[in-house]
Amino acid sequence: MTEPRNPKAPKNPPQPEFGDLPDRLKDLGSRIAAEKSEQVQASKPAPSYQGASDYSKGYRLASEFVAGVLVGGLIGYGVDYVAGTLPLFLIVFLLLGFGAGILNMSRAANRTPPTAEELSKMPKPSALDDEED
Amino acid sequence: MANDPIHQFQIHDLAGPFHVGGYEISFTNSALFMGVIVATITGILTLASSKRALVPGRLQSVGEMWYGMIDNMVKNVLGEEGKAFFPLVFSLFSFVLVANMLGMFPYFFTVTSHVIVTISLALFVIGLVVAVGLYKHGLGWFKLFVPSGVPLAILPFISLIEIISFLSRPISLGLRLFGNMLAGHIVLKVFAGFVVSLGALGGLGFLGALAPMLMAVALTALEFLVAFLQAFVFAILTCVYLNDALHTHH
Repeated sequence: MTEPRNPKAPKNPPQPEFGDLPDRLKDLGSRIAAEKSEQVQASKPAPSYQGASDYSKGYRLASEFVAGVLVGGLIGYGVDYVAGTLPLFLIVFLLLGFGAGILNMSRAANRTPPTAEELSKMPKPSALDDEED
Repeated sequence: MANDPIHQFQIHDLAGPFHVGGYEISFTNSALFMGVIVATITGILTLASSKRALVPGRLQSVGEMWYGMIDNMVKNVLGEEGKAFFPLVFSLFSFVLVANMLGMFPYFFTVTSHVIVTISLALFVIGLVVAVGLYKHGLGWFKLFVPSGVPLAILPFISLIEIISFLSRPISLGLRLFGNMLAGHIVLKVFAGFVVSLGALGGLGFLGALAPMLMAVALTALEFLVAFLQAFVFAILTCVYLNDALHTHH
């Protein structure tokens, strides 16, 4: 994005019947396209939306975990309520909800979770950073 | 009443109790402020875009930044094909942001401090995610819950966990916004209450009231940050979840 712009100034003087108008139009189009790709490039590697604040990040992780446990407990209680086996499924789904909460948290921290194959292929933990978006 | 930190969240009817089919549909202060929010957004954005100056003035700058920020976010997270969701994300962000900001005015009602409002918004988002996922990928979208490469023996457990994880999204999305707004307003009110009750003692009480006074001022600044941040987080998570539905990777 540091390359100088290529103005491609027309060498020939402008003809009275606008002979170089198509050329100039094309030139303008290519310059606009170059500018646009520069803008896209400049905005791409800056994931500013992500690190908006550590405060919100922390809050997000906490709430992801709590939500997992909560939903697990609710489902378990619902199943028990219907089946009439009160403590059994509540306990089972609370544990599953615990797992879901951890999964949620790791996803929230990583944005894109690695699949099982990716995990087995992964050489070192720092490779996670390349997976972003 | 003056020191009751919960009083500000009470809902009361402004126009007498109406009933339709056994449901109460009275016009409450919450409904009034939702109307005010929509009117505020419409007013600001209409004023901001009315001049259409080449060199934007202050208000037009605000409008352009507002639009540009969400536009950037949608482009970054959803890519070009996510353009269709820009109006939705922009509306959600604007509603939550203005609701939070209006809530910072004394004596104003904070719509987003009620869990029913935030959970409704979140359920709507997740419902849309499911609809988009099914529309784009058909029934194959449910492979989302069956990650590949997992041994068959533990697959049922993993699927259950994935399903619970997915179901917990609207809960976490709604609860976070609700919790932040509720907690912030209560803390602010409690500290402000300290100032009043300590100051009423006179003498040394005035000195003692200084500390909670400073806290209240600092907390007000923090609350403005939180108000913006939570709206932003709500919008970005909407984008992230929609992205999952648009580009499901198995």
